[in-house]
Amino acid sequence: MDELTSTFVTESRDQLLAMEDGLLKLEQAPDDASNLGAIFRAAHTIKGGAGVVECHYIEAFTHKVENVLDKLRNGEIPVSSELSTVLLECCDHLGALLDALANGLPQPEAAVQQRGDALLAELSRKFLGEDAAGGALPVEHEADLAASGGGIVVTDAWHISLRFGPGVLKNGTDPLSFLHYLTSLGEIIALTTLADAMPGAAQMDPECCYLGFELRFQTRASKAQIESVFDFVRDECTLHILPPNSKIEEYLKLIDQLPEDSMRLGEILVRSGALTQSELEAGLAAQSGAAAAGEMAAPPPIGEILVGQKVVHKEIVEAAANRQAAVNEKKAGEARMIRVHADKLDQLIDLVGELVIAGAGTSLLAQRSGYSELVESTSVLRRLVEDIRDSALQLRMVQIGETFNRFNRVVRDGSRELGKSIDLLITGAETELDKSVVEKLGDPLMHLVRNAIDHGIETPAVRAQRGKPENGTVQLNAYHDSGSVVIEVIDDGGGLPKEKIRAKAIERGLLDPAATLTEHEIINLIFEAGFSTADQVTNISGRGVGMDVVRRNIQGLRGSVEVSTNEGQGSTFTVRLPLTLAIIDGFLTGVGKAAYVVPLESVVECIELTETTAGRNYLNLRGEVLPFVRLRELFEIGGEVPARQNVVIVHYAGRKAGLVVDTLLGEFQTVIKPLGVLFRHLRGIGGSTILGSGEVALILDVPALVGLVGSSEERRLAAPRRETALTP
Amino acid sequence: MAKTIFLVDDSTTILLSVSSILGKAGYAVEKAANAEEALRKFNSGVKVDLLITDLNMPGMNGIELIKKVRSLTAYRFLPILFLTTESQQSRKAEAKAAGASGWIVKPATADDLLNTIKLVLK
Repeated sequence: MDELTSTFVTESRDQLLAMEDGLLKLEQAPDDASNLGAIFRAAHTIKGGAGVVECHYIEAFTHKVENVLDKLRNGEIPVSSELSTVLLECCDHLGALLDALANGLPQPEAAVQQRGDALLAELSRKFLGEDAAGGALPVEHEADLAASGGGIVVTDAWHISLRFGPGVLKNGTDPLSFLHYLTSLGEIIALTTLADAMPGAAQMDPECCYLGFELRFQTRASKAQIESVFDFVRDECTLHILPPNSKIEEYLKLIDQLPEDSMRLGEILVRSGALTQSELEAGLAAQSGAAAAGEMAAPPPIGEILVGQKVVHKEIVEAAANRQAAVNEKKAGEARMIRVHADKLDQLIDLVGELVIAGAGTSLLAQRSGYSELVESTSVLRRLVEDIRDSALQLRMVQIGETFNRFNRVVRDGSRELGKSIDLLITGAETELDKSVVEKLGDPLMHLVRNAIDHGIETPAVRAQRGKPENGTVQLNAYHDSGSVVIEVIDDGGGLPKEKIRAKAIERGLLDPAATLTEHEIINLIFEAGFSTADQVTNISGRGVGMDVVRRNIQGLRGSVEVSTNEGQGSTFTVRLPLTLAIIDGFLTGVGKAAYVVPLESVVECIELTETTAGRNYLNLRGEVLPFVRLRELFEIGGEVPARQNVVIVHYAGRKAGLVVDTLLGEFQTVIKPLGVLFRHLRGIGGSTILGSGEVALILDVPALVGLVGSSEERRLAAPRRETALTP
Repeated sequence: MAKTIFLVDDSTTILLSVSSILGKAGYAVEKAANAEEALRKFNSGVKVDLLITDLNMPGMNGIELIKKVRSLTAYRFLPILFLTTESQQSRKAEAKAAGASGWIVKPATADDLLNTIKLVLK
C-alpha cells in the first residue's frame, strides 16, 4: 500500500468514527444542523479521498450515502430510526471496504460486495425514491481539458475582444496571466491594449483595472475551451469571441457593442488583420445607411448570438444557512495535529528513560564529589531532564473519549438486541491517559459495559415493577485521582446479589464456607477465575470467563478493578490505572542494605516510628488509626533493626497505610523495568529500577501493600474474637 | 525562485496528493489542515504566491477564510483558488463574492490542477 492510500485509509477510519458518532447523536437531536453538517462532511471527505486514491468502489458507495445525507441535510427526508440504522450499517460496510482497500484488493470480496449492493438498493428504494436498479452509478468523469499545442495552421484566427472589470485585481487575478495562459492553447498573432476606460490621474484608482484587449488568436481549441480560460472573470468582464471566418456583420455588430469609438475599433480590427479596410468601410456605410433608412423598422437582425453573451449565470446566492453551523464543532478538531508513528514515540520515551537514569548517576557523582558548583549545575540539568520526561510522556497521552464513544454503538445495539432501553452517559471524555493504556483498556471496558447491559440493567417490565424509570442508564466516568486515572462503569440495574455470589463461590470451591468476609470482599469474588452467576449465557456478555480476564488485563496495566454494589440500585465498577507505564517519580527508601522505591504520587507523608508503637501493627496518626506493615518483616530482611525507623504513609483508593523502613533517601526519578515472569507471583513488588550508582532497587506495589495491610485489619474488625482462616 | 502555494484542506488525503503534484511541478508548498491554522500563518505574514483552499471545513469554512485573507493588506491581491464540486454552484458564487480568484473542480486531474494554477500564477 502506498503512502497516499494508507493515509487515506487512516483518515477515512477517523471520518467513519466521526460519522458513526454523529449518526448516533442524530436520533436524539434530529434538528442539530451542525451535527448533520459534520456527518455529511465526513462522508464527503471519504468520497473525495477515494477519488484521489482512485478507489472507485468506495467512491461509488459513498456517493450514494452522501446523496441520502444531502437530502437529510436539506430536510427532504426525515430522521428516523430506520434511516440511522441503515446509515450505521453503511458505516460498517465502508469499514469493510476500507479493509479491502487496505488489503490491496482490487474489488471487495463477493460477500461484502453483495452486502454493499443490498444497502445501496435499500437506500435508493427507501430514501432516494429511485429504482433499486440504480446500484451502480456513473463515476464522475474527469474534465477533459485537452492541452492543444500551437503550431497547427488554421485557416483563420479567432477574434477575442476583452474588457476587464475594475474589480479583477482585487480578486487576486492578473489580466496578464490569462493572456499568458491563452498562449498555452494557441498563438496570439495580434494584440492591442485599450486603455480608453482609464480616467484622469486624479480619479484613477491604482487598484482598479481599466484595461481591455483586442486580440487575434490562432488555435485549434474549441470556443468552449477558449471561453473556459476566462471562467474566473466571466462575471465581471465583457468577453466576445468571434470564430474564424465570421461574417463581416458580426464584426460590425461587435464594434457597435463595444464602448470605444467605432472608428478607432475599426482601425484596430484592420490593423490586426481581422478585416480589410474596404470591408470595414463598406460595412460601416451599409450599417449607417440601414439605420438611417429604417428608423421605424426593427433593429438590425441579430446575427449569430455571440457566445460570450450566452453565459448563463446559474449561480444564485443561497441562504447561508449552514455557514455558522460548523463553528460549534468540537475544539479538538481545531487543535493542530501531527501524526507520528507510535514506534518513534516509544523510542523517544526509551531514550528519555535512559537519560533519566544517566542523569541520576551524574547527580550522585556530583554530590559525592562535594564540588558545589557541579552539584548546582547537575541539579539544573536534572530539572530539565524532568521537564523533558514530562513533555515526552505528555506526547503519549490521548483522551479517553474516543474509546468511550465506541460504546455508544455497543449500548445501542446491545439494548436493541435484548429489548431493553438504555442510555449511555459519558463524563470526563477529555481525561488523558497513556496511549498504550488506552489501547489495552478497550477489551476490559467492553466486558464491563456489556455486563452492565446484559446482567445489570433489567428489562423495562422488571424496572417498572421495581418502580424505576423504564430507561436504564449506564454511565462511563473518567477522572484523575492522585496520580492515577479512575474509570467507572456505573449501571442503575439490579446490582450484584451478594448471597448468590457467596453461594456460588462456595459451590465452586472458591470460598471456605466458614470464612467470614466483608460485603466488599464477597462481591469482589466475581473477579475470581471461573466465576459466573449468569443463568443464561447470551452473546452480549461473556461465558463466565469474563471478569477474571478483566481483572488480569487491568492488573497487567498496573491497575486494579473493584466493584461496589447496592442491591436493587445498581453497581459501580471502578478501574484504577496509573497515568503512565514507563517512568514515575519515586521516593527512595532503604531497609537494611536493600533500596525500595515508593511511587511518589502515593506518598502522603513521612513520620518517625516512635517506641510506643513497638509490637503493634498500627499507630495513632493524629487521632486516626493507621495500620502499617514492617517491610523488614514482610520481605524477611535480616540485620540489626536500627534505633530510628521511619514510616512512609501511603494511600491508595482512599485508604491509608504505613510502610516501616529504616531510612528515607528522598525523591528519585525511576524508569520502571518490569520483573520477569519468574517473579509474577511476588506480592508487594511492582517492578525494579536501576539507581544512579548502578544498583538495583525494587519498586513497591502500593495497591497490593495497602490491600494487604487493609484487609488484615478489616478481617480483624469483622471477626474480633477469632483468627480468620484465609482461604487459598 | 520557486513559487509558494498555500494549501488548506481538512482532508489529509487531499493535502498529501495535491502537495505531491505541486511539489513535482516545482512549486513550494505550505500546508494547513484548517482555516484557523491558515489564518494564523497569514497573520504572521507567511510568504505565498497562491492560496488554494477547500470550502467545506470544520470550524471556520473556506469562504470565511477567503474573506479574512482578502481583508489583510498584504494579501489584497493574492490569487486565491478554492476547491469545489460540480454540485456546489451556489457556493461558487459566494466564494467569488468573498474575493476568490477562481476555483478548481474536484475531482481534478493533475493536469487540471496545474493548468488552473497557471491561469492565475504567471
